[in-house]
Amino acid sequence: MTGKKAAGEWTKEVQDYQKKMATASKTPPGADPKQLERTGTVREIGSQAVWSLSSCKPGFGVDQLRDDNLETYWQSDGSQPHLVNIQFRRKTTVKMLCIYADFKSDESYTPSKISVRVGNNFHNLQEIRQLELVEPSGWIHVPLLDIVNNPIRTFMIQIAVLANHQNGRDTHMRQIKVYTPVEESSVGKFPRCTTVDFMMYRTIR
Amino acid sequence: MTVLQEPVQAAVWHALNHYAYRDAVFLAERLYAEVHSEEALFLLATCYYRSGKAYKAYRLLKGHSCTTPQCKYLLAKCCVDLSRLAEGEQILTGGVLNKQKSHDDIVTEFGDSACFTLSLLGQIYCKTDRLAKGSECYQKSLTLNPFLWSPFESLCEIGEKPDPDQMFKLTSLQNFSSCQPNICPIYTATYSIPHRQLDTILMETPQDTLELNRLNLESSNSKYSSLNTDSSVSYIDPSVISPDSVPIGTGSALLAKQAQNKPKSGRCLLGGPAALSPLTPSFGILPLEPSPGDGSYLQNFTNTTSVMDPPTTGLPPKKSVARISQAGMKSVFAQSGNSRDVTPIHLMQTQSTAPQTRGIERFYSLVRFGSAAGVTVREGRADRTVAEREGEKRGSAGKRDQTNSSTTPQVLSPTVAAPPNAQPRRSSRLFTSASSTAKENSKKLKMKFPTKIPNRKTKTKTKGGITQSNMNDSIEILKLDSSIISEGKSNIATPQVQAFNIQKAAADGLMNLMRDMGKGYLALCSYNCKEAIGILSQLPSHHYNTGWVLCQIGRAHFELAEYMQAERIFSEVRRIESYRVEGMEIYSTTLWHLQKDVALSALSKDLTDMDKNSPEAWCVAGNCFSLQREHDIAIKFFQRAIQVDPGFAYAYTLLGHEFVLTEELEKALACFRNAIRVNSRHYNAWYGLGMIYYKQEKFSLAEIHFKKALGINPQSSVLLCHIGVVQHALKKSEHALETLNKAISIDPKNPLCKFHRASILFANEKYKAALQELEELKQIVPKESLVYFLIGKVYKKLGQTHLALMNFSWAMDLDPKGANNQIKEAIDKRYLPDDEEPVTQEDSYPFESVEAEESQESSMTDADDTQLHAAESDEVY
Repeated sequence: MTGKKAAGEWTKEVQDYQKKMATASKTPPGADPKQLERTGTVREIGSQAVWSLSSCKPGFGVDQLRDDNLETYWQSDGSQPHLVNIQFRRKTTVKMLCIYADFKSDESYTPSKISVRVGNNFHNLQEIRQLELVEPSGWIHVPLLDIVNNPIRTFMIQIAVLANHQNGRDTHMRQIKVYTPVEESSVGKFPRCTTVDFMMYRTIR
Repeated sequence: MTVLQEPVQAAVWHALNHYAYRDAVFLAERLYAEVHSEEALFLLATCYYRSGKAYKAYRLLKGHSCTTPQCKYLLAKCCVDLSRLAEGEQILTGGVLNKQKSHDDIVTEFGDSACFTLSLLGQIYCKTDRLAKGSECYQKSLTLNPFLWSPFESLCEIGEKPDPDQMFKLTSLQNFSSCQPNICPIYTATYSIPHRQLDTILMETPQDTLELNRLNLESSNSKYSSLNTDSSVSYIDPSVISPDSVPIGTGSALLAKQAQNKPKSGRCLLGGPAALSPLTPSFGILPLEPSPGDGSYLQNFTNTTSVMDPPTTGLPPKKSVARISQAGMKSVFAQSGNSRDVTPIHLMQTQSTAPQTRGIERFYSLVRFGSAAGVTVREGRADRTVAEREGEKRGSAGKRDQTNSSTTPQVLSPTVAAPPNAQPRRSSRLFTSASSTAKENSKKLKMKFPTKIPNRKTKTKTKGGITQSNMNDSIEILKLDSSIISEGKSNIATPQVQAFNIQKAAADGLMNLMRDMGKGYLALCSYNCKEAIGILSQLPSHHYNTGWVLCQIGRAHFELAEYMQAERIFSEVRRIESYRVEGMEIYSTTLWHLQKDVALSALSKDLTDMDKNSPEAWCVAGNCFSLQREHDIAIKFFQRAIQVDPGFAYAYTLLGHEFVLTEELEKALACFRNAIRVNSRHYNAWYGLGMIYYKQEKFSLAEIHFKKALGINPQSSVLLCHIGVVQHALKKSEHALETLNKAISIDPKNPLCKFHRASILFANEKYKAALQELEELKQIVPKESLVYFLIGKVYKKLGQTHLALMNFSWAMDLDPKGANNQIKEAIDKRYLPDDEEPVTQEDSYPFESVEAEESQESSMTDADDTQLHAAESDEVY
C-alpha cells in the first residue's frame, strides 16, 4: 500500500514483511516536510531538543544533520548500531519524524533498517517503530503514534540505524526533522477552522 | 557677539539650513575652539544633534556646565533620546537633591520654549511610569501652546481623556500671543520683550547674522547695491536686525530656538545696528552669497519677495522659482526661501500667483472650518491680486524700481498705500521676507511681531511630524495670511484690529481642525472606534485623504475586526504615502488576519528596504513569515524590531504570539509582560496573557486577564467571545451566554461568537437552539466546514444519523486539505465524549451505529490524503 513498512506489533511486522516480499519495491519518497509545515498542521520542534550521536566523523555531525541542507550529512564513525538521540527539556508531543536518505548518493552508507525508540531517558527506551528501507531516495515519514493513534508524548527519542544497504558499516543521514501537531491557537478545542471569514475572528493579534 | 563670531555663525547656520551637517559641524567646531563660549557650545551641540548624533551633543553638553535654557533643553532632549531619563529629568527639574522646580518655575525659566520643555518632561514622567505627573506636564504644555499635537496624543495614549474642546482653543489673549507671538504684534511687543532677551541671545545671533549676511551679499552683489548700501546701511540695519524674522530661516533648527526669536528682536534693538555696520564688509567676502534658502521658510514670503525683486538677472533666480512652482505652495520652508534673491518679474508673477491663490483657497477652507471672518479674508485676497497686477505692470514696464515693485507685492493685503516709505529697505525685505517690510514701517510697534512668526512655524513643524503634512501646509498658510495681515496692520493703523481678528480667525480655524482630529483620536484611544471613524470621516477631504487620518481610520476598523475595510483604507494610505511607516504594523496584521500573503510580503519587502531602523518594518517582516508559518524566522524579525526600538510595545506582543505558536509559553509570558511594561494600555498583550493561561487551563487567571483587556477595549467582540468561552470553561454557562450575547450585539457579523454560543447551547443540551444558531451561522459563513461539523454533531445527538452524516461529509468536502485531517481524525476517533473539548461536557451518545459508516467514509477519503494520513490510517487497517 501507500505507507512505509511500519511495524509495531507482531502482526504488523508480519503484514509488512509480506507486503515487502510481495512488492520488493523501493521505498517511495514521502512529501517534502516543508509542505506539511505550510499546511499549519505540524511544526518542527527539533530546535528545542538536545541532539547527540553515538559517533561521528569530524565535520559530519549534528550540525550537518540539522542544517536544512540535503547536500550535507552525518556520517557515523563507530560500530553499529548508530544512534541519534533527541532529548527534550520537557515532555513533548511528537507526531512524526522525517528522515532524508538518498541511496543514489550514499550507496552502502544508506540505512536499510531503522528502529525508533522513545522513553523518558536512556534507560527505559522502548522501540515503537522499526522500518526497513529499500534504496530510499527522499523523505521518509515515520509517524509516531500510540496504540489509539494519538501522537506520543515523550522526553526522548532515539533513532537507531541497525543495518545499512550492502552491509555497509558506517551510515549517512542527511536530515532528520521532528514534528509536533499544531495546537489550535484559539480558544475551544475545535478542529481548526478553514475559511478566512471565520478564522480572522479567532484571535486578537 | 564679537565681530569674529558672527560670520562663522552665519556660515554654520547657513550650512545647517542646507543640511550640510558635516560642514556645519566642522565650522562649529572651529568656532567653539576659537571662542569657547556657551553660545558656540550650543551651536556646536545643535549641529551634532541635527546631524543625528545625539550622543555627541550629549557628551559635549555634559562636559560643560550648561546654564542657558536652550542648552539645558537640548541636553535634556539628548538624554531622552539616549534614554537617560533620570538625568534628563534632573536637568529639567533640578533633580532629587535640589528642590524640584515647579511647572511655573520651568515656565519662567524657559520662557517661550516652556511648552516644549514641559512636553519633554511629560515624556520622561510617562516613560518612568509616573503617569499623573506626566499628564500634568502635558496639559500644562498644551495650555501654554495649543498648537502642539504630540502632548495631546500622548495624553490620549496614557489613557487620559483630555477634552479637545478645552485643549485646542485660544482661551485668552495671553495664550494666543504666547503661542504665536507674531499674530498680535501690539500685545506681544510689550509682553514678549522682558522674558526673552536674556535667554535667547544665542538663538538670535545666528539669525541676525544671517540677515546681515544676506543684506551684505545682496547689496554687494546686486546692481542696486549702490542704492541700497546708502539707505540700507543706516536704515536697513535696524530693520533687518530687528526683524528676527530671519530666524525663520533657521526654523529648521526647531529645537529650542523657537522661543528665542523674541529675544532677538529685543537684542537687535539694543546692539544690532552697531554690530552690523562693521560686519558688512566681511560678509561680502564670505562665500555664502548663493545663500538663497535661509530666511524664507514661509512660502508666502518667498513668493511675495520674488515678486519684488524684479530687476536682476534671471538665471539663478529661475532655478529657485522653478523649485517653488514644483513644490507648490506647500513646499518645505527651506525651499521656498531661496527664491527671494532675484527673480525676473515675469517668472515670478506667473508662478507665484498660482500658488498664492491656491494657498488662499486653502486658507479659505480653513477659515470656513473655523467659521471665521471669511469676508475680511476675501477682501485681503482681492487686494492682493490687485497688488500683484500692479507689480506685474511695473515689471513689464521695465521700471526697476526695486523698492516700488517689491513693496507692492508684499503689501498684498489691504495696505498697499504704505509702501512708499519703505522702499530703501527693499533689499532687506528681500532677504528677510515680507514680514521685514512691515517691521520697517512700523518698527517701533512691531519689532517683535516678525520674530514671532518664525516661532509659529517652528512649532508647527514639530507638530507636523506627528500629524500630517497637510497640517503643516494649512498652518503655514495661516501664517502667511497672518503675516500679510500683520503687515497691513503695520502700515495702516486702522486695519490692525481687523487684521488681528483675521489672524485670530485663521488660528481658530486651525484650532477647529485640531479639535476635530483630537476628538477622533481620543475616541480611537478609548476604543470608541465607530465614533472615531465617524469623526475622522467628517474631516474635509484634503485632510481626510492624508496618511495620518487614514491610518487612524484603518486602525479603528482594525480594532473593530473589520479587516476588509481596514485593508482597503491602508492600501489607500500606501497609495498616497508610500513612504509612511507608522501604522504599517497594523496593516500587516490586518493582512495576516486576512491571510493575504502576497500583499504582505510585498509590503514587508518595501518597508524593510526603505527603513531598516523602524520597528514597524520589522514587525511587518515578522508577520509575513508568521503567516508562512516560519515561526523561527518571524521570531528573529520581531526581536529585531524590539532591538531597533525597545519602546515599541506591539513588537513585544507579536513576539509573544509567535512564542505561543511555538509553544514556548514562558518566553511568551515574558514578552507580553514586557509589552505591558512599555504600555499598560496595550490590550493585545493582556489578551495574550489570558490566552496563555487559557492554554494552561488556568481559566480564572485567563478570565482576569481577558477582562483586563476588555477594560481597555470594551467594544471588542473577539475579546468578549473569548471571555464567554472561558466562563463556560469555568462552568459559568449563564454568564458565558450573557457575554456572548453582548458580543453579538456589538458585532452581529462575528461568526465565532455565534459559533461558540451554539456550542455552549449544544453542551447544555439545548439542541434546538443550537441548531437554530448554527443555521443562522451558515448564512454568515456558508463555506466554513466547522459549522457543518458542529451541525453534524448536534444531529448525532438528536439521533438523526443521516443528517449527521450528511453534514459531516459536507464538512469534509468543504475542506479537503487542511483542517480535514482533524475533522476526520475526530470522526475516526469517534470523537468520544472523553476527548471532547472541555467546553462541551457531553455524555456518551449513540455513536456506535454511526461508527461503521464513518470509518468507511474515512477510508474512502484516504486516497486523496497525504501520505501522512495514509500512514496514520494504517492502524485502522
